[in-house]
Amino acid sequence: MLFHTWSFVLFFLIVYPIYLVLKRTRFRLFWLLAVSYFFYGCFHPLYPILIAYVSLVDYIVVVRMEKSSRRKGPRSAGTKAWLLVSIFNNLALLGFFKYGGFVTDNLNFLLSSLGIPYAIAEPGIILPVGLSFYTLQSMSYAIDFYRGNIEREKSFIAYAAYVSLFPRLLAGPIERAKNLLPQLHTTPRISIHDVTDGLSLFVVGLFKKVALADYLALYVGKVYAAPEQFKSPALILATFLFSWQIYFDFSGYTDMARGLARMMGIRLMLNFNNPYLATGLGDFWRRWHISLSSWFKDYVYIPLGGNRSGKFKTYRNMFLTMIISGLWHGAAWTFVIWGAVHALGRFLTRELEGTSFYKEKVPRLVKQLFVFVFITFAWIFFRAENISDAWLIIVRIFSSGLANPYCPILTLTLIFAVWLYQFAYESRIKWILELRAVRVGIVIAMIIYLAVFAKSSEAPFIYLQF
Amino acid sequence: MISSSHKRLAVAGTATNQAPFGSNCVRLTGYEWFIVAVVISALFYFVPKLWKHIEKFEPGSDYRLPYKLSDDYWLYSRYCRWACSEEKTLVIGDSVIWGHYVSENNTLSGHLNKIAGRDMFVNMGVDGIHPVALAGLLKYYSRDISDKDIILHFNPLWMSSEKHDLQIEKEFNFNHPKLVPQFIPNIPCYKVSSSVRIKSVIERYISFFSWTSHLKRAYFENLDLPRWTLEHPYENPLKNITLQLPTSDNYNGNENIPWYEKGVTKQDIQWVAIENSLQWRFFKHSVQFLRKRGNRVFVLIGPFNEHILKDGSIDVYRQMKKKIEAWLKQNNVPCYMPEALPSSMYRDASHPLSEGYAELARQLSENESFNLSILN
Repeated sequence: MLFHTWSFVLFFLIVYPIYLVLKRTRFRLFWLLAVSYFFYGCFHPLYPILIAYVSLVDYIVVVRMEKSSRRKGPRSAGTKAWLLVSIFNNLALLGFFKYGGFVTDNLNFLLSSLGIPYAIAEPGIILPVGLSFYTLQSMSYAIDFYRGNIEREKSFIAYAAYVSLFPRLLAGPIERAKNLLPQLHTTPRISIHDVTDGLSLFVVGLFKKVALADYLALYVGKVYAAPEQFKSPALILATFLFSWQIYFDFSGYTDMARGLARMMGIRLMLNFNNPYLATGLGDFWRRWHISLSSWFKDYVYIPLGGNRSGKFKTYRNMFLTMIISGLWHGAAWTFVIWGAVHALGRFLTRELEGTSFYKEKVPRLVKQLFVFVFITFAWIFFRAENISDAWLIIVRIFSSGLANPYCPILTLTLIFAVWLYQFAYESRIKWILELRAVRVGIVIAMIIYLAVFAKSSEAPFIYLQF
Repeated sequence: MISSSHKRLAVAGTATNQAPFGSNCVRLTGYEWFIVAVVISALFYFVPKLWKHIEKFEPGSDYRLPYKLSDDYWLYSRYCRWACSEEKTLVIGDSVIWGHYVSENNTLSGHLNKIAGRDMFVNMGVDGIHPVALAGLLKYYSRDISDKDIILHFNPLWMSSEKHDLQIEKEFNFNHPKLVPQFIPNIPCYKVSSSVRIKSVIERYISFFSWTSHLKRAYFENLDLPRWTLEHPYENPLKNITLQLPTSDNYNGNENIPWYEKGVTKQDIQWVAIENSLQWRFFKHSVQFLRKRGNRVFVLIGPFNEHILKDGSIDVYRQMKKKIEAWLKQNNVPCYMPEALPSSMYRDASHPLSEGYAELARQLSENESFNLSILN
């Protein structure tokens, strides 16, 4: 039951009015929890058990941490031990469901390389959708409590609703307890603006996903499925289109998630802020999947030492953070390389940004173009089926010669229109986009396009696989 | 510009550390959403209506829906309206009525028109439509045919196996899935997601969506725009909307060769018991539904090619025919159940050749019940 399907529309049309009726009562959180578990159970009947387990363990861990810190002090060994239980439990779940196959494959490869005639059986486990997101969210609650950043959540129902809140359950944003839990405890004041803003966000997200991402996916999928059959122009265009496909897909999901939450009086954080207008890799990560970037910054990069101990350690910490981030995205070496490429890009642009020439002489548009080309190149590793495919694509981009790419002009026109819009949004002519006629016209155009031309699609969001 | 209320909200949001709205200006107020709702509703309502004036649709004598537009229910609905405005008798059924192996003037309606000496009968057959789907077509896309004379054909072929009767559990792609009941009763082999089912239901009630399907089928090779542009990357899709519908006789299946010369051998058909048949149940439902809507219904059963059946199958088939006849008589439904035509007049198990249609039309015109209920 994905946001862009009719089943979800029906689900929300039933859930929302009841939520509005219950919003001032103590049943609101029960309702929110029940519908979130139902929503999750639509993907697999056993998934609610898993998320209940994650919620319960971290809830109990924090209860124990509080008791331990009362007796022995806030950062005592006992408190720390309970924190480690939370971290171990969440990472073990991720390891079991997400990395079991990856580890087995690599061990088998190692065994066969050493000439040992033994192979470990493939676990054959399917990654539960959303697990990577809610384990991080739940883990951050325990860490934040340990650090003294938040109070313990008294109600298990509220905590379970925080972990499972259906608009953000499948692919974030990864919300911090400090932001979301107080909102769950307050009776929401849902104004007409919340409803209209929520609708605006939802329609934009729907358009991004159905009209743009799923459209671009057709060409990208065709080329990436058999890269050996395509020449340089098609491979370049497919990679370029994938850059936008993944942006539209994920930011479209986030827009819809934020829109739904907003209609329910809950404000989720901004997760994408026109990332392809970034002028540096650091800037890019402040605009792309912001909730994950800030999570890794707060819970991995800074604990590693951040940028406090000199250049070498800063770069080492950046490198490790990016590798872990890559591995979080997927259990494959392509994602590790993707993370490493981004880390190298961070070093490079960080050094460049330190020079007065780059800062003052290089036009903003050139910086944006440079960063975009770099990010697009890195996406090859993200999208390719395996390392040999990624390598094949890179080699063929530079050596396979020219041929008609047969890339639909309409895809490029739509991307250009979006880029132009974003460029205007961050420029002095933003006022044009704020005109009522422009805003209303854009919404009407998007709805008509969706109704008439968009392909009938139930394609899942890319980030659901992570 | 952004409304003052939104500006206040933005300021308040900053003050209370609320999340920013987004990274674009597509943020409408209630009043602006109202404008959008009015404009979209108007477009949804008027565009399909206006389109009927823009796109020429002039069915001539012996017209039948183009084969490639068999799934175009919006056009079917338009065809119904045209047929009713001309005060015709509608001949409704599957490919046996449509005339799968004959030209458009050699179909049953074509031969009936020749006998009547005027264009009295309209070929409303739809290729591949089985009784379960036909019930949906009549209910949702044929509202204009109330009070009209109808010859409703039933092809026993749809009961020739559990698969034809849509009773098997294993999923398979059957014809016209959008027309079958989407939720109740459950069709075992129909296993699409609930979203697809809801979409089919919505399309039945909001003609704008069936109109968009019409555009796809008539001008974009039954592809949605994204897929069409993938096949034609450098073409302007708007140029493809020529407003010229495909002709009705573009189906290249005219073969005047009997079944036994095509290498078809005798078959041992495992008929579904009439009491358990989903197809028969829906056919009965269609008859009753049409009569409730004020239509005068004449039912034509078969004629099935009995020559193709092995002995055991013929016996079961004949028993089944008796039960069908009994139900029709019991419900006072005028009908005709002809004996099988000569073997050489069939192309396969159920489709007659041109001579077969001529013979069937002749028999019908001499049938007392047909004369009383349709020709008078």
